[in-house]
Amino acid sequence: MTAIAAEPATGTDALQRAREGDHDAFAELVSEHEAMVYSIAYHVFGDRDRASDLAQDVFLQLYRNLGAIESESHLLYWLRQVTTRRCIDLLRRSRLRAVPLDDVAELQSPESHRDPLLGRTLRDLVTTLPESQRVIVTLRYQEELGPNEISRVMGMRVNTVKSQLHRALQSLRRKLEER
Amino acid sequence: MSIEQGLKEALARKSPPPGFTARVMDAIGRETRVPARPARRWWQWAAAAALLMAIGGGTTAHYIEQRREGERAKQQVLLALRITGAKLRGTREHVRAISRQEE
Repeated sequence: MTAIAAEPATGTDALQRAREGDHDAFAELVSEHEAMVYSIAYHVFGDRDRASDLAQDVFLQLYRNLGAIESESHLLYWLRQVTTRRCIDLLRRSRLRAVPLDDVAELQSPESHRDPLLGRTLRDLVTTLPESQRVIVTLRYQEELGPNEISRVMGMRVNTVKSQLHRALQSLRRKLEER
Repeated sequence: MSIEQGLKEALARKSPPPGFTARVMDAIGRETRVPARPARRWWQWAAAAALLMAIGGGTTAHYIEQRREGERAKQQVLLALRITGAKLRGTREHVRAISRQEE
C-alpha cells in the first residue's frame, strides 16, 4: 500500500477551490482531515488539549502553504509529515513522557473496542515509548502505513523504521506482561 | 488478541473536540484580517508639520544664499571688464599720441 496512490480523490474539488481562496472549501478540507491530524497528535501526546492545539497549528500552516499542495494525495502526505514533525519537535522540546490519557477520549472513538481496558492500557503504554517509536507505532497502527511510507513521512531509512517498530513492539509486550 | 490487533483498535482515529473546524477557521480569519490603521495623534501631526517647515526653510535659505553668491560673482566680472576697458582705452590713446609725434 502506498500512502500517495491509495487515497481516493474525494477532496480534489475542495482543494482546488480552497487554493482559489474559497474559505468554505478550506473548512471542508479541515473537516475531512481533522480526525487524522488530531489523532496522530493525541496518540503521541496522550493529551487532548495539546493535540487540539497542535492540529490547529498544522491547519494554519496548511492554509499558508496551500499553493504548494499539488493534489489530494500530496495533501494527505503533507499533513502526516507536518503533524509528525511537529509532534517530534514538541516532544523533544518539552521532553514529555508518560501523560495520562483523557477519559473522554474513549467515548469519541469511532469503533467500540472489545476490551476497553486493553485499549486504554495500550494507549497509555504507547505514550511511554521513546519519541520516534511513538510516532512510528501511531503511523503504523492508526494510519496503517507500511515501513516504506513511514520512512518517507519521517525522513528515515526503511531499515531504521523496521528496527524501531520491532523494538517498540517488544517493549510494549514486555510492559503489558509486567502489568 | 495479538498486540498488533490490539494496537489497531486502541489507536483508531478519534474525532477532535466539537467545534474544532470552526476554531481553525476563526484563527485563519484573525490571521488574514487587515489590522485597522491606528488614528494619528496630534503630536504626530505636529512633528510632521515641523519637519516639513524645517525642510522648506532650509531649502529657501540655500536658494537665497546661491542667488547672493551669483550676484557677487556677476559684479566682480563687470568690475574686471570695466578695468580692462579703461586700460585698453589708455593704451590706445598712448599709441595715437606716439603716432602724432612721429608725423
